[in-house]
Amino acid sequence: MMDERALAVRFRLGWRVLLALVALTALELPVAFRIPHPLPYLVAINVVDALLILEYFMHLSRMWHPEE
Amino acid sequence: MDAVTAVHAPARRLRTLRGGLWLFFISESFLFAALISSRYYLVGLDRPAELNQALGLLITVILLTSSLFAFRAEASMLCGHRQRFLRNTLATVLLGTLFLVGVGIEWAEAFAHFPPQQRFGTVFFTLTGAHGLHVLSGVGLLLGVYLHGRRGRYSPQACWPVEAAVKYWHYVDVVWVFIYPTLYLVGS
Repeated sequence: MMDERALAVRFRLGWRVLLALVALTALELPVAFRIPHPLPYLVAINVVDALLILEYFMHLSRMWHPEE
Repeated sequence: MDAVTAVHAPARRLRTLRGGLWLFFISESFLFAALISSRYYLVGLDRPAELNQALGLLITVILLTSSLFAFRAEASMLCGHRQRFLRNTLATVLLGTLFLVGVGIEWAEAFAHFPPQQRFGTVFFTLTGAHGLHVLSGVGLLLGVYLHGRRGRYSPQACWPVEAAVKYWHYVDVVWVFIYPTLYLVGS
């Protein structure tokens, strides 16, 4: 079972990931409206977004470790 | 069943459940990939000027924030904090509902500017509709988990339904991360 300290660390990590996600989403706006052909850049930003959620929120790399 | 098998059975079961859930996510991804690619096939890189950019950004931030609360709910359950788990699950449900309200407002505006008979309208309503249904089912799942949690049915050692509902919610978030720019940002 997770202890209090580990929970506080996880909560902080959650906020950092959210800040990163919001920052990347905000970055999409100037990329979309100021760069002539933004599609590749937008895809790259979305992939980073998705990887952040998959790794930190969905624990993809820990999928095969049920003890965690 | 011998003693070694009995000890490892829950871990093996959890591994199987997780594998099944991820296979479900992969199969769902094919559906959304097809829907997203239809945007480029049917509309190309055109984007209507009438799209409500502020609302699109707002509902995106709401959905991303809901994922944080879902993450906190799962972590709280693993720590044995039932009240914190309930609060965060409820916050996730409320934010998910708020997202759906935002999509509803966007639909009302979209009907006036690009109805489903138009190409972009077809893509817009199909993508947001399919995703909205997933959000709705996620809200339902989380509500179920919340109600069971209130009755004390989960423990840090036995909370697979919580993990599954929360992972499903994050998956819905990942899908929106790709839908948002596809509808609101790509094109001119």
